[in-house]
Amino acid sequence: MAATVTVNPPTGILGALATGAQDFIKVFNRGGQNLLGLMGGILPTLVVLLTAVNALIRIIGPERIENLGKAAARPGIIWYPVRYIILPFVAVFVLTNPMAYTMGRFLPERFKPAFYDSAVSFVHPILGIFPHANPGELFVYLGIATGVTELGLPLGDLAVRYLLVGLVVIFIRGVLTEFITARMMARSAKEA
Amino acid sequence: MNSISALLVKVGKSVGGIVSILFQAGRDAVDTVIRNVIPFMAFISFIVGVILTTGVGDWIAKGIKGSASSLPGLLLISIVCAIPILSPLLGPGAVIAQIVGVLLGVEIGKGNIPAQYALPALFAINPQVGCDFIPVGLALGEAEPETVEIGVPAVLLSRLVTGPLSVVIAYVASFGLYSIKK
Repeated sequence: MAATVTVNPPTGILGALATGAQDFIKVFNRGGQNLLGLMGGILPTLVVLLTAVNALIRIIGPERIENLGKAAARPGIIWYPVRYIILPFVAVFVLTNPMAYTMGRFLPERFKPAFYDSAVSFVHPILGIFPHANPGELFVYLGIATGVTELGLPLGDLAVRYLLVGLVVIFIRGVLTEFITARMMARSAKEA
Repeated sequence: MNSISALLVKVGKSVGGIVSILFQAGRDAVDTVIRNVIPFMAFISFIVGVILTTGVGDWIAKGIKGSASSLPGLLLISIVCAIPILSPLLGPGAVIAQIVGVLLGVEIGKGNIPAQYALPALFAINPQVGCDFIPVGLALGEAEPETVEIGVPAVLLSRLVTGPLSVVIAYVASFGLYSIKK
């Protein structure tokens, strides 16, 4: 058994350099630890999930959701939830960011800005449960979620609430943006 | 004999089809992860390293702590992000939202921000989502140029209202989230 040896901390210019070097590499060691945690934690799950969902979408065929787009184009108050909750959800889930916005082509011009607003606002709330929809922007959710995990708290509750509040918010956005678009279109028609 | 071989061909074909779909799906998944996810993880890890080991973290903590752990503070963040001139600048790639998300996450992890604020914070940092992409997004939906001309200001104006509103809704929805067991 070797006796524990303690050495004097380095002093002088060399000492300062040594401390500086240690502090310098400490930043990257900590960053590396964080990277390893992410790669070992969420990455394998993400790869498997992405594979499963990609396969599912290939088997279903993205063209099947076109009928939903046509249904959402109908006027009338009962089609609002279809247009600004169900269609954005399905479009973002199946087509993912950014191809989800192509579903707007089934809607009349006056609904297009509102649908875009609604769909684009859903590409992050969906991440907690279905990260395949927008893996390039995962950290909007994951950044905050990592902090919650660090406290030892489960993420399920946060992910579900994020998704549900997201659905409420995209509905409000869709309705309000449709209203504003209608007003602006009426004004520009009057001027022309 | 003929019917048996026909059956075998049919089974073989459908199994082959499914396997090739799964294989292609796996290839796409790995491709996405390598191209989009791992580079961002590396970048985020570097930022986390800097925050946690240098004094920058404490400095940021002082700045954010007041604003991110109260409803008025979160509302202020969301209003700033929703200002029609700023929102398209803050939007691209959601990079700003991701960095701010990581900063807040680190502070939540250290206990400086209560965990139930995670939900309203997710909305407070993101009223600008997609504001940089409106013309492209509308073009993907085959919108006329006139629609784009009206759609861009319509979405930006709408965000000024729905941005802060989303924070309020999320704040109300966060009641009972991570409540401390008595």
